[in-house]
Amino acid sequence: MATRVNPKLIDDLEQYGAEDVSKCYHCGNCSAACPFSQGSRIFPRKSMRHLQLGLEKRLEGDLEPWLCYYCGECSDECPREAEPGETMMSLRRWLTSRYDFTGISRLFYRSWKAELAAVLLVALLTAIGFLLLGFLGGDIRIYDGPGAFLPSHVVHWFDWAMAGVLVILLSINCVRMWWFTLGREGRESGTHVPLREYIARAYLLPFHFITQARYSRCERKRPWLVHLVLMLSYLTMLVLIMFFLESMQSGPEIDWRVHAFGYAAAVGLVATTAYAMWGRAKRAEAQYRHSHESDWIFLILLFVVAGTGVLQHILHRADLEVAANIAYVVHLMGVVPMLVLEVPFSKWAHLAYRPLAMYFAELQLRAVPSRAPAETARPAATS
Amino acid sequence: MDQPRIGVYVCACGTNIAKVVDCDAVVRAAEGLPGVAVATTYKYMCSTPGQEMIVADIEEKKLDRVVVASCSPRMHELTFRKAVKKASMNQYYLQMANIREHCSWVHGDGVEATQKAIGLVRAAVKRVAFHEPLESRMVAMCPNTLVLGGGIAGLTAALELADAGYQVYLVEKADHLGGNLARVDLTAPHLDSARDLLRERIHRVMGHPHVEPFLGAEVQSLEGYVGNFTATVAVPGGNGAGPAAAEGDDGPTDGGGATRSPRTLEVGSVIVATGYREFDASRITHFGYGKLPNVITSFEFERMVREGRIETVEGRQPQYVAILHCVGSRSQEFHAYCSRVCCMTALKYAHELKSAVPGCYVSDVYIDMHAFGKGCEDFYRRSSEVKTLFLMYGKNDYPVIRKAEPGDDCGMLIEVSEQLSGELIEIPADLVILMVGMEAREDSAEVARLVGISQDKDGWFIESHPKLDPVATTTEGVFIAGTCAAPKDIPDSVAQARAAAARILGKIARGSIEVDAVFAEIDEEACSGCRICNELCPYSAIEYKADEKRSRVISALCKACGACVAACPSGAIRARHFTDEQIFAEIVGVLA
Amino acid sequence: MNEDRPTVADLPTVADLPTVADDQTAARVDRPARRAPTGAAGSFQPRIVGFLCNWCSYAGADLAGTSRTPYAASVRVIRVMCSARIDPTFVLKALAEGADGVLICGCHPGDCHYSEGNYKTMRRYPLLKRMLADLGIEDARVRLEWVSASEGQRFADLVDDMTQRLRALGPSRIKTALATDHAER
Repeated sequence: MATRVNPKLIDDLEQYGAEDVSKCYHCGNCSAACPFSQGSRIFPRKSMRHLQLGLEKRLEGDLEPWLCYYCGECSDECPREAEPGETMMSLRRWLTSRYDFTGISRLFYRSWKAELAAVLLVALLTAIGFLLLGFLGGDIRIYDGPGAFLPSHVVHWFDWAMAGVLVILLSINCVRMWWFTLGREGRESGTHVPLREYIARAYLLPFHFITQARYSRCERKRPWLVHLVLMLSYLTMLVLIMFFLESMQSGPEIDWRVHAFGYAAAVGLVATTAYAMWGRAKRAEAQYRHSHESDWIFLILLFVVAGTGVLQHILHRADLEVAANIAYVVHLMGVVPMLVLEVPFSKWAHLAYRPLAMYFAELQLRAVPSRAPAETARPAATS
Repeated sequence: MDQPRIGVYVCACGTNIAKVVDCDAVVRAAEGLPGVAVATTYKYMCSTPGQEMIVADIEEKKLDRVVVASCSPRMHELTFRKAVKKASMNQYYLQMANIREHCSWVHGDGVEATQKAIGLVRAAVKRVAFHEPLESRMVAMCPNTLVLGGGIAGLTAALELADAGYQVYLVEKADHLGGNLARVDLTAPHLDSARDLLRERIHRVMGHPHVEPFLGAEVQSLEGYVGNFTATVAVPGGNGAGPAAAEGDDGPTDGGGATRSPRTLEVGSVIVATGYREFDASRITHFGYGKLPNVITSFEFERMVREGRIETVEGRQPQYVAILHCVGSRSQEFHAYCSRVCCMTALKYAHELKSAVPGCYVSDVYIDMHAFGKGCEDFYRRSSEVKTLFLMYGKNDYPVIRKAEPGDDCGMLIEVSEQLSGELIEIPADLVILMVGMEAREDSAEVARLVGISQDKDGWFIESHPKLDPVATTTEGVFIAGTCAAPKDIPDSVAQARAAAARILGKIARGSIEVDAVFAEIDEEACSGCRICNELCPYSAIEYKADEKRSRVISALCKACGACVAACPSGAIRARHFTDEQIFAEIVGVLA
Repeated sequence: MNEDRPTVADLPTVADLPTVADDQTAARVDRPARRAPTGAAGSFQPRIVGFLCNWCSYAGADLAGTSRTPYAASVRVIRVMCSARIDPTFVLKALAEGADGVLICGCHPGDCHYSEGNYKTMRRYPLLKRMLADLGIEDARVRLEWVSASEGQRFADLVDDMTQRLRALGPSRIKTALATDHAER
């Protein structure tokens, strides 16, 4: 059965940032330059082709975009300036919107105004909510301890509730990703992956998540280093907030370990986001040459969150409690939209999809033929 | 006859000959042959030092015959004739042995090839002993030129000659000038108007004091030889120019017809620029041309563009347009050759479509993209920038076009086994443009016979040498220009036309031309006056002198085919340079 | 005029140029695309005299060369301007001199450079064949074929085919027979 070409898909992808795909004439320089392009996973050329032809189902089932880290080597090698690296980036955005069952992601990627409005709305609701909480139960002059404007146990409870919602949303999307890449693909090709392989390879998820080992194999090391620092800083901060929030916010008797990790993570976050923003503004490196609006919204949110986090700590240590509380509210106005909107619906979803893709890619290699189609495929009895 | 002094020169042709044939062994064998005074081998006999070696040997070693064993005489016989002439030897004292095209290039076994080369050299040595000194004839050169075909090549050649002040007769079969180019809107890759290119030329041709155009006319016969041809042209109405329609939309149509009268023209040279015809797309059934109304040929699309209405037969603007390359070209079934202009024309259509039908999707379905030539690669790049979708199909794995289902948002679907993705895919299309290739015109065999030139297996006229002489033909005085020789684009056609004109101007400038001294002669003592030869000669070059009861060859008319020689029952006719003795000597030589 | 200025004679000629390109070309094209029958393997290699017209068939044989189409080294070509020039005595002479076969090639009917020369050949040929048959000379030894300037492959195929047939027929004994005939007289 022939697959229908959809020349319109390329127009759709333009909204996600893929502008030069049609220039590609398939010389294959990009795939030759990419250290990850091996065996049956010939990318970015294959993805470029699927996109040019508008083979939506194929693209949905492709894991390749997630296996690319956008070192930019391919875009530099391209003789037609077709920007394969940026195409892979755009495909990740498009896939994120495809995995997302709510349609919010698609809306955000296609309209930065909608995304910005959503961010501002959530920030406003957050401000209203926490200000109400603060003025009803606390004192704006107290930052921590009894009578605090925003008592840490309440914020902590709120963190966990939000985490629960996010995990549910993201999990649904992850299941959809599984269906597109393993479930549906397997059914159509008459193969499946045995359960024991799912279990045996499960270690890949935390491994890739924490180490970014694959990224380190790109020829250019700096992007990997920046990304690793950013990711580890974020992870550290996440752990501190989720498990040690009370300790973090407490006064001079703060645990030195929390202190040390907190400072390190804060420096890491501020430095890497600043570096990324500077890079994008200057278009300094290949991966920074093209910036989609969603990239900026994400970076600015992260920078605001990291900056206000540091600021409130400094103000608190300087005994400027009122200012510290205001900074705290602003910090939450950044944190909440960043997590609620960016993690399930936008750029940050890749924290789940990327390790999953590597896990699924490994599983795809271990697919075995399903029994049922083999039976029906047997030729009719001889006469 | 005194023992001749023969020099034998065995060319190694770099390694082209020496790699297979043992040239030293050939030299040793030649040295042992009677009459051979000098035998030697050299890397390139045709090079200046090689030729100088022959000249020096003739002068110093008093040679009176020369044998060159090298490439085909069709390649370098004239070169070596000139060389021996330099040494004041009669040029017909030269004989060549073809040990490259007929030996080293076709035989792998060195021993056998060397044996054969020795045989060919022996034959040449034996033959050359019987050679006679012949004097070339000088004949007057008529400065008029007959140009067949009024397309871009014919027009250009005619103007080039006429501007130099010489009379040109331009014969065009259709009732208008411009040829196939008149059916085209814009030209690739610069998107200039074809009409502008033609208009000025047609205008000048029609008003030029030295050009006499015949529209709706046909050449009926061409007789004579270089410098002295007589052409008979059937002209409508009997007067000069036919209907003065300058350009026409449609392909060549036979004009006139009923009231033609012959005109006799004296010309010295002929330029054949009869062009091509487009491939008949209905021959490829998978494309549904003629059955699916929205499958059209490139020329039909050109007409749409010229009329400013790009739409389907239903009168709608097409949302999806597919352009199919290589229709009739580069296929086992139809024509193996590439038609050269279709790729860039297809890209031109993509540009035209994108600007004329905003928002339409253009798919360009090709085998390979041939974007050679100035500005073409850049044009290809720009076409992909306007978001043309390029799809590659396999040679001889034709796409299949079918009607879409009612629910589809397109009129047709093209199924292609797409090479770049490896997928079997369907392309939506409302309008399909078939890039029909070029093929030799239906009357090309007739034209070839008329002017005495050859055609290759595809019907294209054969040039004298594919690389070194792509303008002349095997018939002296007859030149070819434009797409009648092979598919080519406008600049190449124009260049070839101007080259043909330049060759003719060179001949006119010399005033008279040398013709081969090879012709038949009758020994009137031996002639019995039976008149068999009179009937045989296709050129009526043998006249019968009733008073003497003898026949005589009019040497200026004789073209040296030798038909009369073989037929003469009295053995009274000699073919100069191809005498019985010479050929017998050659037979003995190859078999000894 | 400046005495130091190089003259044409001082300029490098083809022969002075490096020949790498030639060697490469030769290396590339010398591999025969298919096996042509050779006599080297001990089998009988017939000797064929080919009379080829200058305009079509000789050019066709040249094309076989330029396209490196291999064929048996059995044929030796004699060029004539037109197949109509081929006097029946040429064929007889060749057979008498020891040729195992004679191949006559001309332009395809209708394509003659001299308009109709090949038609004359076509008319003469059956008469010659009848005479050869009367002389007891096998049919396969003399053959008339049309080869155009673009049919290099066809010429190669013809030579190979004729070589195979003559090989099956064995060497011609005409020359030895004539010799004994002379001796007996």
